[in-house]
Amino acid sequence: MARSARRSGYESLPGAAGLRAWARRHAFSLLSSLGSLTRQPIASSMTVIVLAVALTLPTALHVTIDNVERIGQGWERLDTLSVFLEPEISSDQAQRMTSRLTAWPEIAAVDPISPEAGLVELSGQLNLGDLGEQITDNPLPWVLEITPESEVVVATLASRLEREAGIDLVIVDLQWLERLDAILAVIQQLISLLAVLFAIGVAFIIANTIRMDIQNRREEIEVMALVGATAAFIRRPFLYSGLWYGLLGGFLAWLFIRIGLIVLSAPVARLSGSYHTDFQLFPPAPEVTALLIVGSGLFGILGSWLVVGQHLRKINP
Amino acid sequence: MISFEHVAKRYPGGIQALSDVNFSLGRGELAFLTGHSGAGKSTLLRLIALLERPSRGQVVFEGRNVGKLARRHIPYLRRRIGVIFQDHRLLSDKRVFDNVALPLMIAGLSYGEIRRRVRAALDKVGLLDKEKMFPPMLSGGEQQRVGIARAIITKPPLILADEPTGNLDPDMSADLMRYFLQLNELGVTVLIASHDLELIRQLGQRVLVLKGGEMVDDLPARARLAGEADGA
Repeated sequence: MARSARRSGYESLPGAAGLRAWARRHAFSLLSSLGSLTRQPIASSMTVIVLAVALTLPTALHVTIDNVERIGQGWERLDTLSVFLEPEISSDQAQRMTSRLTAWPEIAAVDPISPEAGLVELSGQLNLGDLGEQITDNPLPWVLEITPESEVVVATLASRLEREAGIDLVIVDLQWLERLDAILAVIQQLISLLAVLFAIGVAFIIANTIRMDIQNRREEIEVMALVGATAAFIRRPFLYSGLWYGLLGGFLAWLFIRIGLIVLSAPVARLSGSYHTDFQLFPPAPEVTALLIVGSGLFGILGSWLVVGQHLRKINP
Repeated sequence: MISFEHVAKRYPGGIQALSDVNFSLGRGELAFLTGHSGAGKSTLLRLIALLERPSRGQVVFEGRNVGKLARRHIPYLRRRIGVIFQDHRLLSDKRVFDNVALPLMIAGLSYGEIRRRVRAALDKVGLLDKEKMFPPMLSGGEQQRVGIARAIITKPPLILADEPTGNLDPDMSADLMRYFLQLNELGVTVLIASHDLELIRQLGQRVLVLKGGEMVDDLPARARLAGEADGA
């Protein structure tokens, strides 16, 4: 570029080359892009809002899944095995079994629940008052609540326990957790696809806005080309516009999500309180926020690049 | 400065604007380009500023074949040429000052330098007091002069004018043409497309005549010949 400028004799203009001229040209483009944004406040804000909505959808889905996974992680610590002993097992036998199982390397802890304790817990859960007074013959067996070591495969442990003498039934309610994991994986994949789709959407929404902007400023572009503006110079204000649209859209999407989280926090707290947990909604991670805003800005630049390039070829044959 | 060698231009759709044009214009020369509308005057000027590329032949400007110039070099070519249009081509939402300053902003000059040069150019065309106005607030003649100020602000060696007097009354037209003559005396090469034959005859400069896309006549500068005759 510098060489061609020299060859065409343009060096006769002082300050036409060098870093300061470059900075001045950039400042001109930057101001020009901001000017065109503020000159049509309604059109610009409509574009930004459409972008924000398009960006909010996949991000909100991501935040939802992220939070559901956090709940799931809490639940996985509840993956204890309930070992029902045979009804004829006595207290002594139950206690001996408890100490024997505690010695197993796969088992972290064993919590024996006597039939009486089980009855009290059950009646409490079912809201039946004092069940023990009404039932003389307690039908409940001894139950050992077993917490496996974290790296142990629960299914293997369960089948090994089932082969032990004196054990009637081992209940592992893990299947629904596995299903939840599988569902989350599917949705996660879906979000990735949606994110790609919406990113393309963002580029095209911005491209379309810039295209209309170019229609409005066709005269200006042609005049600039006529008096010797380079393609880069003509393109730059539009690239800045695309960047602003993208950044503002991304920022507004982030704001939508934060507002949504605030609105949801009270009902979520009530729900989690009813489960005696103190679950809280987590905002999107800083990386996700950065990806949202910066990515949107980059796609803004991409969108305007496509449109301006196409238009420039018509002016410079 | 400029030479056309067997230049033809056919637009998409089959319209033959120029069929075989040959002429040359030396550095520091001034010439009028006349012909009926549709004779190809505008096309000829557009080929020099590379707003169009020739279909055939060579358009040479400052020793380079313009038709073969790479697209990325076009802006630098255009900075060597000041173009003035009949419809002025001013930006109506920008002030007179900013319109004239545009080529310098593109060049990346400092604001102080731009300010100095723009005021000098506006002073030269007699519009210094109108710098804060918007083009639609000015008369046709004044707008044309803003266009001229913009064309000369970078001190290009070549000025092309396409029907610059098209919308002006005879007095203003004569003024404007005299201004081009002054520019020419300062060493600028000038090519003016016009069909104002009466005015052209009065000025007695070199006249190129286009007809149906061909150069049918090339009349040498009568005034200069007459002047030489006087001096002899």
